[in-house]
Amino acid sequence: MKNVDKQLTGLAESMVAYGKKQGADEVQITISEGSELSIDVRMGNIEKLVEAGSKRLSVKVIKDSKVATASSSDLSKETLNKLMDHAIQRAELASADEFSSLPESQKITADLEALQIYDGSITELAVEKKIEFAKKTESICLADERVKKSYGASYGSFEGTFYLANSNGVSLAYPRTSCSCSIYLQSGDGDNLFDDGWGDATRNLSDLMTPEDIAKTAIHRVTRLIGAKKIETQNVPVIMEPAMTSSLLRFLQQCITGRSIYLKQSFLTDKLCQQIAGKNISIVDDGLLPRGIGSRPFDSEGVPSQKTSLIEQGVLKNYLLDTYASKKLGLPSTGNAGGSTNFYMEAGIHSQEEIIKSVDKGLYLADMIGQGTVPTTGDISRGAFGLWIDNGELTYPVAEITISGNLGTILNQIEMVGNDLEHKDSIEGPTIKIAEMTIGGK
Amino acid sequence: MSSLNRRQFLQKSGTGVMAATATGGLWNHLLYAGGNGTGSTTLFESKFGVARESMQKILQIALSKGGDFSELFFEYRIANLVRMEEGIIKDSSERISLGVGIRVLNGEQTGYGYTNDLSFEKMKQSALTAAAIASSGKTMKIANLSEVTRDHKMYDLINPVHELELTSKIDAIERAHDAALKYDSRIQKVQVRLSDEIRFVTIVNSEGLLISDARPQVRLMVNATAEDKGELSTSSWANDGGRVGMNFYKDKTHPEELGKRAAEEAILLLSAVNAQAGEQPVVLGKDQSGVMIHEAVGHPLEADSNRKKESIMWDKMHQMVANPIVTIYDDPTIPFMRGTHAIDDEGTFTQKKMLIEKGKLVGFLQDRLSARLMGDEPDGHGRRENYQCIPIPRMANTVLERGDSNPDDIIGSVKKGFYAKTYQGGMVQPSGKFTFSVNMGYLIEDGKLTQPIKNATLIGTNVQILNEVEMIGNDMGFFLGTCGKDGQSAPCTAGTPTLKIRSMTVGGQA
Repeated sequence: MKNVDKQLTGLAESMVAYGKKQGADEVQITISEGSELSIDVRMGNIEKLVEAGSKRLSVKVIKDSKVATASSSDLSKETLNKLMDHAIQRAELASADEFSSLPESQKITADLEALQIYDGSITELAVEKKIEFAKKTESICLADERVKKSYGASYGSFEGTFYLANSNGVSLAYPRTSCSCSIYLQSGDGDNLFDDGWGDATRNLSDLMTPEDIAKTAIHRVTRLIGAKKIETQNVPVIMEPAMTSSLLRFLQQCITGRSIYLKQSFLTDKLCQQIAGKNISIVDDGLLPRGIGSRPFDSEGVPSQKTSLIEQGVLKNYLLDTYASKKLGLPSTGNAGGSTNFYMEAGIHSQEEIIKSVDKGLYLADMIGQGTVPTTGDISRGAFGLWIDNGELTYPVAEITISGNLGTILNQIEMVGNDLEHKDSIEGPTIKIAEMTIGGK
Repeated sequence: MSSLNRRQFLQKSGTGVMAATATGGLWNHLLYAGGNGTGSTTLFESKFGVARESMQKILQIALSKGGDFSELFFEYRIANLVRMEEGIIKDSSERISLGVGIRVLNGEQTGYGYTNDLSFEKMKQSALTAAAIASSGKTMKIANLSEVTRDHKMYDLINPVHELELTSKIDAIERAHDAALKYDSRIQKVQVRLSDEIRFVTIVNSEGLLISDARPQVRLMVNATAEDKGELSTSSWANDGGRVGMNFYKDKTHPEELGKRAAEEAILLLSAVNAQAGEQPVVLGKDQSGVMIHEAVGHPLEADSNRKKESIMWDKMHQMVANPIVTIYDDPTIPFMRGTHAIDDEGTFTQKKMLIEKGKLVGFLQDRLSARLMGDEPDGHGRRENYQCIPIPRMANTVLERGDSNPDDIIGSVKKGFYAKTYQGGMVQPSGKFTFSVNMGYLIEDGKLTQPIKNATLIGTNVQILNEVEMIGNDMGFFLGTCGKDGQSAPCTAGTPTLKIRSMTVGGQA
């Protein structure tokens, strides 16, 4: 495990002391320090290589329940002191807000060794090996003659430490690493072209998918769309494969934050403890999942991470809460300052094969593009690509269609939940079958 | 992995991405110590102590392994933000960014390093990192630096917002807020944000260029949520601004107007229904439909994806790609616009670039690297989000030229169809499939706008859509947005008159 930089811990603590001395009631300092390497390979050659390190210090001050924030990548003492002085002056011009305060100091129980979010072998791996990884991923894809073009393969690695100190006596830090590889491809003929790809990002080197597996998934995704056509406008059952369920959950995650609730910009406003989804639906945010890409010992305010049940057998149990939202809504913080951690839908019992078999005519959703999600109403309208299901079998590919529905309705219409949940991305779900959505086509 | 290689245009950049506000004046003595892009000493020399000889040395070190071009991009940026929510000023923030990005080009290859520490040792380390892309060992001698300036009036620095006292900003915010809240008793929550920044850049390169720029950017945004009998609706962000000073909100767009616009949309959305799904004639209103041009035309005509033969347009130069009534250009030099810049982030003077002339493809948006590899000239479209990013070809202000149809006649020509008014944004894939998402529109029945429609995504392929533009209005409006490409965001605008598309697939209810 990497040691924390005593100098940065000292800087954070001394800035807290300086802020207090200058008249702030409460001060929070965070420092993000990190170094990145990123390699882009295209058509067998290195196209871009970036290597760098950076630091940013952020300030939050509260005076008479009034808030100001600031940050700087210029860490000279002169700049930081001035930044703090400005923040205290600006805070006086904000409105007093009784819900503004820093969290009390709480014991961090998460064991960093058990959390396994730092892997020194990521930074130790030679740059040449990383280049080789990306090149190999791409060359496997290009060897498939159905792949028309590679937009390039990228390999990235990151090592960094997050420091936090506040005027309630908190001084914490944790290091983490990540590595990733992705590739994006084109298939098709003439002007009827298709794009898709795949990528993986992990905290530990040994968890990263192999070049072979990334390539295989990317090839499968881009070639299954070749020859896709538009279909008629109609209402049909829709099967979402795990990557599409994740996309749906990303939207749900936006709607379930405390902030969207108190701003009334969520269809879940005022629905706490109500049955908002089918009994087969449970949604969890787990900040303590070992090796999880979203795991962390504490959130960006120093509140310990936890496993939070958000939807339990269809009942809305909690929201994603930071300290402010929790005070405002009168609930304990869930340690979600800075967002969700590992947010997922719990697996069901059905195999994907079984789910496809259950559909007479319908859409197997393979990709979605565009915005078209409205948290306030739960409405969804997006561009879509997929495979047509006929008689329980995947048949021909479809493209240039739209898919529409409402998340609030969809949550009550998930007829089958797959057993294929994997914890790869920070937002994940299994294959699901939705009773009906609208396809916009010809 | 849902947005790997997609280009998108969002009306609002992610919450909190644009952070930060200084109480006026406090930094000014530092900023104007000869560093306003016109003096003979740059800000980075006068304030941060980077001597010109050091710049020259670092450029040389960057080429120490071979390579045919090296460049230093110095950036100092102060970005401010004030937020009003639920009737109170929630907070204000100030974000300072300082750093240098060092780039080495070696044929088609790019080596890049950056650091926020401008000491010679740290810059040298980054230069050596960037240098590693090359291995020919042939060391090119760099030219002596000579400063170039561009005399222009593209930015309004007369009454710069970043110098204002917070109280005068709060006044504008409160006026926008109150106007929204007063519009209708069903308006429940109003959010207002005023963001401003000043961004100083100095670019030096191995060809001897030394050039600086000081760019202001201001934006006032309002968003309203309405409630009626348990039904909720939220407007898109009504916003305006650009490379302007505070006078803009006195002389051009009043804060009250933005508040009212947001409130009006939220109220209309309360009674809005879903669109009728399927193919239908579509009329794009003038105010925000630039999104479509940005996605369907702008991105596919950026030089990098054409050089790499990835864009669907790469082999169509000098061919007819659109209805002959369509002319499209990108112009970074229009004064005071959100996408405007006098020089790009490689130091090239910007210019208006014709892309499609009367239906024929005539140009790509170039940066230095693509221009050299394609035998074209750089045209000032090489942009980057910040010093941590390499420059890539980007749009600035993309415009579809005015036509001669009366907007009412355009709507009048549609028996049944869809009218797009406000947008959430758009997205395009390199293969040319693009979407744009409408936050609010109207049903067109017998040539008239009738029922309000909510949240509809439209999908098409750019090569088809350009030929389906049937009528072009004699009016003009601009969408202010933030464009995302290769993980970098950039402020842009896109302008269109009212447009009629013969047929497009609309998402909605069957």
